[in-house]
Amino acid sequence: MAILEVNNIKKKFDNTEILKGISFSMEKGQTLSILGSSGSGKTTLLRCLNFLERPDCGTISVNGNLLFDAMQAPYSEAEIREKRVHFGMVFQQFNLFPQYTALENVALAPKLMNKGKTSDTEIDSMCKELLSKMGLSDRMNNYPHQLSGGQQQRVAIARALALKPDILCFDEPTSALDPELTGEVLKVIKELASQHTTMIIVTHEIGFARDVSDEIIFMDEGIIADKGTPAQVIDNPVNERTKQFLSNYSGHS
Amino acid sequence: MFSSVTISLFEGFLGTLKLFSLTLLFSLPLGLVISFGSMNKNIILRGPIRFIIWIVRGTPLMLQLLIIFYGPGIFLGMNVWGSGDSGRFTAALVAFVINYACYFSEIFRGGIQSIPKGQYEAAAVLGLSKSQTFFKIVLLQVIKRIVPPISNEVITLVKDTSLARVIAFYEIIWEGERFIKSAGIIWPLFYTGVFYLIFSGLLTLLFGYIEKKLSFFK
Ligand SMILES: Nc1ncnc2c1ncn2[C@@H]1O[C@H](COP(=O)(O)OP(=O)(O)OP(=O)(O)O)[C@@H](O)[C@H]1O
Ligand SMILES: [Mg+2]
Repeated sequence: MAILEVNNIKKKFDNTEILKGISFSMEKGQTLSILGSSGSGKTTLLRCLNFLERPDCGTISVNGNLLFDAMQAPYSEAEIREKRVHFGMVFQQFNLFPQYTALENVALAPKLMNKGKTSDTEIDSMCKELLSKMGLSDRMNNYPHQLSGGQQQRVAIARALALKPDILCFDEPTSALDPELTGEVLKVIKELASQHTTMIIVTHEIGFARDVSDEIIFMDEGIIADKGTPAQVIDNPVNERTKQFLSNYSGHS
Repeated sequence: MFSSVTISLFEGFLGTLKLFSLTLLFSLPLGLVISFGSMNKNIILRGPIRFIIWIVRGTPLMLQLLIIFYGPGIFLGMNVWGSGDSGRFTAALVAFVINYACYFSEIFRGGIQSIPKGQYEAAAVLGLSKSQTFFKIVLLQVIKRIVPPISNEVITLVKDTSLARVIAFYEIIWEGERFIKSAGIIWPLFYTGVFYLIFSGLLTLLFGYIEKKLSFFK
């Protein structure tokens, strides 16, 4: 069964339709990358999955359970909170909480969500393990402003993983980084892919997307214009739009 | 002479202190409430509150003192403030609290609105509730940002208390001036400046300490 099924998602902003009916599904343990030119709606799609935007139309199901249906009455704040933790989100700008250390950033939400089942020390050790996996064992007690962009983004990845989401979303995770720091972040994402973490990655790093993805979606003006394996979409594109997009980016990847 | 002047000025300074501390006690929480009102999505709430803030910040505090003290008697024909010194004090306190609450509300609003949207969104995708987001994520960041402007306002308040003299509220300058008539000497009036200086100096140290305490994050 598909872990995620997105069906006919549409989203308007001020009467402009930004998502014009997006449908796709993905299997557990797969990595899906979303490519597309600026303004094609990639961020908006991720925001819809994470309940940061409410689609005007469409459904979202996780593990066969209907999570979101635009036809239903607006969900209450509590319902949304319960539903959105199926997804994790890593932002372009990291958005770490500045007043908390790396470890506190990662442990905050699990501790708040924990209803006495696990002790705080257990949560802390789980979070420390995650940070070690991100290569940050010596940085756990640093505050965000004491960390490089690449380190901050790896903390943000650990923070998202700490809630054990079914699907982890990345919105251009390396776009805000200096070029020499992108490698360390891409490396941990690759590791997650090899451990079969289910991920959706919006990225402009085409070479990386080819290496890491099981499937590629190419978005253009609010629709899925092309879709397939990296070999189909990136190496042997047949779609005219995809070809044009890739040729614009060939210098960068 | 010097020590007796010091003692009586100190008495006057207690009046200053009383107005100062009670103004802070009431205007800080009221300011927070007003700031939420001034950010409310509903224009019917936000509009009038912004209008009042504009009036209060756009007119002199001295004028507000006079209007609040004499206004009810003139326009309503009744004395709402009670008689004598306690009436003057209540009127002065009300004027100061309204005035400072409006200034504080703008500082709070600026602080709250300066928190990047990304902080709210990161908290949201981690499943935090609205109140968890406010208390665990936003509040300390807001406090850090508003300590410097609040500190300015508080130090201004120390000196502004002397304006309450216009409605004959008893405070330190009043006491200092008394020596001109009673003893024909003016230096006690000048000497009041030392009290203000020491007190605002202590406040500066206190706020410096708080700022330092909050400097562990950026
Ligand atoms: N909250 C909003 N209000 C109005 N318009 C919006 C809003 N969010 C996004 N848009 C518009 O939707 C369109 C798609 O934006 P989106 O951020 O999803 O694109 P993107 O594919 O992520 O682009 P990029 O590669 O530049 O990040 C843009 O034209 C943008 O201006
Ligand atoms: Mg985007």
